[in-house]
Amino acid sequence: MLLHNHILTAIIIFILTYVTIVSEKINRTIIAMFGAILMIMFQVLSQEHAIGKIDFNTIGLLIGMMIIVNILRMTGIFEYLAIKTAKLAKGDPWKIIVSLSIITAICSALLDNVTTVLLIAPVTFVITETLELNPLPFLIPEILFANIGGTATLIGDPPNIMIGGATDLTFLDFVINLGPVIVVIFIVILVFLKLFYINKLVVSEENKKKIFSFDENKAIRDKVLLKKSLIVLTITIFGFSIHHLLGLESATVAIFGASALLLISGCDPEEILVDVEWTTIFFFTGLFVLVGALEEVGVIDSLANQMIQLTHGDLVLTAIGILWLSAIASAFLDNIPFVATMIPLIKSVAVLVTFNITPLWWALALGACLGGNGSLVGASANVIVGGMAQKKGYNLDFKTFFKIGFPVMIISTSIATVYLLVFYV
Amino acid sequence: MKRRKLVDFEASKHLIELTQLGAEVNQINSKMCYVKFVLGEIKLSYVYNINKKGKYFLERIMPYPIPIREFDDESDVIKIIKFDLKQYRNALESRPLDRFIEVNLSMSQVMRKFEDLFLYYDIDEEQCSGILEKIDSISKDILDLKDKSKRTFFEKEPYHL
Repeated sequence: MLLHNHILTAIIIFILTYVTIVSEKINRTIIAMFGAILMIMFQVLSQEHAIGKIDFNTIGLLIGMMIIVNILRMTGIFEYLAIKTAKLAKGDPWKIIVSLSIITAICSALLDNVTTVLLIAPVTFVITETLELNPLPFLIPEILFANIGGTATLIGDPPNIMIGGATDLTFLDFVINLGPVIVVIFIVILVFLKLFYINKLVVSEENKKKIFSFDENKAIRDKVLLKKSLIVLTITIFGFSIHHLLGLESATVAIFGASALLLISGCDPEEILVDVEWTTIFFFTGLFVLVGALEEVGVIDSLANQMIQLTHGDLVLTAIGILWLSAIASAFLDNIPFVATMIPLIKSVAVLVTFNITPLWWALALGACLGGNGSLVGASANVIVGGMAQKKGYNLDFKTFFKIGFPVMIISTSIATVYLLVFYV
Repeated sequence: MKRRKLVDFEASKHLIELTQLGAEVNQINSKMCYVKFVLGEIKLSYVYNINKKGKYFLERIMPYPIPIREFDDESDVIKIIKFDLKQYRNALESRPLDRFIEVNLSMSQVMRKFEDLFLYYDIDEEQCSGILEKIDSISKDILDLKDKSKRTFFEKEPYHL
């Protein structure tokens, strides 16, 4: 009876929390923390068990990378790259879009998506103001490629960080398995955008010449710090590639990189640590406890059973189902709680089936990350850039973004479907 | 998160634009304090900034603006506001402030007009000397008025008289 009550209590708290997060009526971090503490107060799980449910590998990886990026962004390297490529493109708008898209996708594979757009979007506004162009044809591809690029690596997007934290999949596993399909998706989406924006980007020769008045060297604010940051970032990424050989977790590598950079950079640690996104960290912590409580009372196992019954234990159906469910859900809902729930679900599926479940992780990663492009509310990067555009008087509303983002999500998820079918199932 | 990110975005954009203009820009985390006192019909407003560099920038914005002053110690900022408040309370008790504020606002406008004149037109140096003579005359009038009037505040000495 007590166990039965715990199941019901856990389900009620989880659903209420989830609905409140989705409704966006209350800050998601507050409600995740509140839901998590209710699970403990109603004795669904003890405080000790709750702490045990927190995936410190994910938390450590997030904090470590945030610290490294906070220091790296102070150097001005991202502005340098953006200005340099705009000059190389000789003010040609389409060539600038392609260049900024490549920079965004690569940065996003190594940094989180929100940070990437925060670094690229301001310089994009400066460039488009100089060219006297509407910034939206530049900003929308940056959003799309931030989400696409982030899919390629373990550290590129929170869903991948969570999957990496919960499994034995390494940084190289992500690059090798997701990298090729992301390159294909990048090229196809670029062609799609070219067709979409054709004839919409006209710049006078006079304005094109203004681009050459920019001096990319002025963007570099601290050359010594830049060298130190790039060395540490390279070592950290190399560390991600071999952490399994060293017997270390990815979080250990990230925290090593972060503390080493803090040590040699001479930066004020208070200034750097205050900019760590603690609200995101606490949101993850709350979610881990919430999902952990469902796991503890057996709800996740029960859901896994139902999922296997629905797909008849067939790998193709399960993988494609996870891919499209993740993509559609992530297009309109916060993908972090969704992935947090799916991870223990897939782990439970592994116990019930005989096939290798690794393709299911790739399906989840591809669906959750690419799905973020489906609408303006699909990912944090979309919301942030939408806010920036609105603030500058450009109408990047739900409808405007949906017209491009949703087809992009369908095309990229379709390519991912073919990729999974051909190479994994 | 969104609002903080938008502030970061604005700060980054300003940084890029100002750097391209040749400026050396140093953005620091600080706290901006808006202070407001209501003294009857008069509102006294200040804005000041607290930062880790140990410099404090104080500006009075109401009832009429006075330029930014830099202080090395936060207690100096509070001291200035305390005296300002005392002096306004003291002044309000003994006489109406409308005329005083009107004169101050007019002088602020004259300063802005002169700045525009200098920045937008190639002005004749001799005519400029004429303006200077008139300012000297106003300054003398102020000193004459001081000598003829009864002092009402003794807690600190005036900065400019």
